[in-house]
Amino acid sequence: MKKLIAIALVLMFALIGCASAEGFTFKMGIDAEYPPYSYLGDDGNYAGFDVEMCQKVCEILGWNLEIVPINWDTKDIQLDAEEIDCIWSGLTIYANGITEDRFTISFPYSDNSQMILTKQGTGIESFDDLAGKIVGVQMGTSAEAALTGDGEAAELGATFGALQPYQDYTVAFTELQAGAIDAIAIDAPVAKQKIDTYGDEYYCLEESYASEKYGICFRKADTELCKQVEDAYMQLVEDGTYIALGEKYGLDTGYLVLAAQ
Amino acid sequence: MTITAMIVKMSEGLGRTCAIFFLTLLFSLPLGLLVALLRMSKNRVVSTITKAYISVLRGTPLMLQLIAVAYGPFYLFGATLLVKQKLLAIIIAFALNYAAYFAEIYRGGIESMPVGQYEAAHVLGYSKAQTFMRIILPQVVKRILPSVTNEVITLVKDTSMAFTLAYMEMFSIGKQIANSQSSFTPFVIAGAFYYIMNSVVAFAMSRCEKALGYYR
Repeated sequence: MKKLIAIALVLMFALIGCASAEGFTFKMGIDAEYPPYSYLGDDGNYAGFDVEMCQKVCEILGWNLEIVPINWDTKDIQLDAEEIDCIWSGLTIYANGITEDRFTISFPYSDNSQMILTKQGTGIESFDDLAGKIVGVQMGTSAEAALTGDGEAAELGATFGALQPYQDYTVAFTELQAGAIDAIAIDAPVAKQKIDTYGDEYYCLEESYASEKYGICFRKADTELCKQVEDAYMQLVEDGTYIALGEKYGLDTGYLVLAAQ
Repeated sequence: MTITAMIVKMSEGLGRTCAIFFLTLLFSLPLGLLVALLRMSKNRVVSTITKAYISVLRGTPLMLQLIAVAYGPFYLFGATLLVKQKLLAIIIAFALNYAAYFAEIYRGGIESMPVGQYEAAHVLGYSKAQTFMRIILPQVVKRILPSVTNEVITLVKDTSMAFTLAYMEMFSIGKQIANSQSSFTPFVIAGAFYYIMNSVVAFAMSRCEKALGYYR
């Protein structure tokens, strides 16, 4: 029995593993299910606009980078507990509790619009056509927040037959394909990626019902860390990496707000 | 991403899935027996506390228990050990949770033993401990094996709950692939993995039952 326990403990510590390289290791917290910003790439490594930007930032600053996939529902606890040093993953700032009195927040690096995505045959052409329809949305996202409560588009949300929350968009899409729901409320870049995958049968309404800003969120005390990341980020904007990566990941250049400045 | 690539990537998480499974069993089976004995204690205080433990652990979702174990100590005392050592937090939460279920299974088994056996053992001069270890427990183990198998099979599937703490076991990786590839295939693969693991568990447990089926 003692032997068994000893083996178990050894196994446990071996599996826990401790990555300790020299120098500062920047722990980037990502939602690994959020293409094209952060996701598991075809080669099995994490990829995406935010992931690559962070890799470049760490190169400039000479930091080691550890990418930590987090549970989006407990992201603020994981940040507080120093499991990660930042939340950097298509994070909507100034909303959903990501506010400046609670966190240190970087400048917004991307704009984003909330769109309605639907498929041929539903006859949905404008917001008015959504009255009484069932609209899917990802749980806990800004797309959901905007349509409910005091959200920017709560009035629109109130006209829906129902707003159906899903754990992830893959399931929501299958429901849309099957006709169980009529439309999906979704971020513009994610919508674009989904249309690329699923084909022309799907389309977005022209109008956007809300807009938001993406930024990087740090612990309240880490203002210096935020400043360093921002400075390095601006270098990448100036040398064109920012736009190049935006294009690589199919982001609408109109949203890449830092490029215009 | 090809199906093969998906399977390979998800297999990387299998080691972690197995670690959760085996370590949970290793700690929860003995702990469950201890809890069962405390639950049956003649001391009112001890049995009431144990009853409360079982009631809370069975009455709240494992997902909440995982969050409580990992982040509770941090918010209460600023301790970050369990935040940084995810597997440790997961094993503690799983072991405490499964011990509560196992305890009730053990208790059912122990209480099903006829009083006559205790009396006979007493007459033959067995001490209480000897009676329990040599006469009662071996029969209990045989009797409760089917119920234990049920729990063990549930445990295989419950390992996926570790995603709550963003621990990258097989199912969490599958979910990531599903969302980056917009595909349901990883879920099918995950289903196959779980089914195969549970077939092994069911086979091993039925062999155990056979091996213990003497006196039949």
